[in-house]
Amino acid sequence: MDRRHFIGQSAAALGLLAGFSGQARANLQKAEILVIGGGYGGATAAKYLRLFSNNTAKVTLIEPNASFISCPLSNLVVGGSRTLAELTSPYDNLSKRHGINIIQDSVASIDADKKTVKLASGKTLRYDKAIVSPGITLMMNSIEGLAQANKAGVTLQAWKAGPETVALHKQLASMRDGGTFALSIPEAPYRCPPGPYERACQVANYLKKNKPKSKVLILDANQDVTSKGALFKKVWAEQYSGIIEYLPKHNVTAVDAKNKTIKLEVQDDIKADVLNLLPAMSAGEIAVKTGLANSNGRWVNVNFINFESTAQKDIHVLGDSIQVAPLMPKSGHMANSHAKVAAAAIVAELSGWEINPAPVLTNTCYSFVNEREVVHVASVHQYNAAEKTFKTVPGSGGLSPGPTTLEGVYAWGWAHNIWADSLG
Amino acid sequence: MRAKYLKPAILATLYIGSSHWSGLALAQNTDASNLYKRSLAATCANCHGTDGKGVIDGGMPLINTLTSEQMLTQLKAFKSGAREGTIMPQLAKGYSDEQLETIANQLGKK
Repeated sequence: MDRRHFIGQSAAALGLLAGFSGQARANLQKAEILVIGGGYGGATAAKYLRLFSNNTAKVTLIEPNASFISCPLSNLVVGGSRTLAELTSPYDNLSKRHGINIIQDSVASIDADKKTVKLASGKTLRYDKAIVSPGITLMMNSIEGLAQANKAGVTLQAWKAGPETVALHKQLASMRDGGTFALSIPEAPYRCPPGPYERACQVANYLKKNKPKSKVLILDANQDVTSKGALFKKVWAEQYSGIIEYLPKHNVTAVDAKNKTIKLEVQDDIKADVLNLLPAMSAGEIAVKTGLANSNGRWVNVNFINFESTAQKDIHVLGDSIQVAPLMPKSGHMANSHAKVAAAAIVAELSGWEINPAPVLTNTCYSFVNEREVVHVASVHQYNAAEKTFKTVPGSGGLSPGPTTLEGVYAWGWAHNIWADSLG
Repeated sequence: MRAKYLKPAILATLYIGSSHWSGLALAQNTDASNLYKRSLAATCANCHGTDGKGVIDGGMPLINTLTSEQMLTQLKAFKSGAREGTIMPQLAKGYSDEQLETIANQLGKK
């Protein structure tokens, strides 16, 4: 075939396709797309639905909070070296720059058959596509007495960044020198695998400078450190010797708020001054309530090619709520990555195009071991069509050789860029 | 090749003809092909900014100063291990050469 002939044929084919896609395009423009939850997953999905549709898709974002507060880096607030304000971004760029309709409200219920969403304020919205990105639920009942202890302000989780993050720092700051800060970790999977170990570093860093006779006690339900294990253990030995005590296979079952005592599955009770007890976690409440959590009643199974729930058609679920693929962490970076794959798939579907059969996800996670030095873990996940899941690429990804201040600079660079990518 | 000077129909043909997304190429139009390329390049945006436009003085190396050719050279050097780094050598190894080429074409300075 000569070049002119080939171009002519392709142009003709293109004309046919253009006619077809013109009609499908109308579906894209007509569709009501509701995004529930404005975290790393939901905010990114809303923005990229607009970008990938060349600003033609109608997108509404429902989020109860007035502004976005980042969970990544919030351990620095617990440790006292940074403020919550430094981790806070507004939502209004999504409406001003990207034409997204933002409703500050929470979702009371989803009717998947009628394809409607009822807001807490009472209003009902219709959807053609819903993206559900509600983060996690802290299963307070998984530790006996935790709900009451938390209500009384004795225990705190600070696992959703916000006022509790600041309150936990205040508890740390008012702890006596010689006291114990107990941090318990549930069995994996939970939000942010390295997060608790980073928190231990930040608390220990504060104690080393301000209350050197005190200690951090890590009660880990897991067999061993679940992420960056060798790196954290080296830091604990080199920088926080005598401050951090790590106890694996210590599963917290109950807490006595009055006596500030922690009960364990096997070992003797432990008394502590500050109790930062992380319970087991599940998909965000609205996902569970809607019947989407079809993996052990805790996490949401999705089709990884477009993140559509396997329980309900036209509901796509992102971020920490999903039943993860192998070696896929529950992280903000990963939620942002999920969102782009889902947004592209929804735009393709509503446009009448085949969905990208080879999506790619990345993950990057930085952990601060003190105010300035950082270690990372990174991975690349390519979709495997045969197994219908994402798999990490052999030979790719990995860890830092050790903590550096250069990675501390990159960690902030990552934060500023992902906030801008998700919300800017 | 300076694709931006070509007429849209020819451009579409070139996209289809050169698509690494073989098997599907016939079913795609320019917009679908662009969506694929944009979504692949968006895997870089978390750290390097939406459409490769990073936050100025944000702490992360800016990539939108590089031409597509320069970017591809760097990405391949990270992948082969010729260029050292922190995260990029680890991430570059997760992409095929074709994917890196698509990313560089998408994000390089026009």
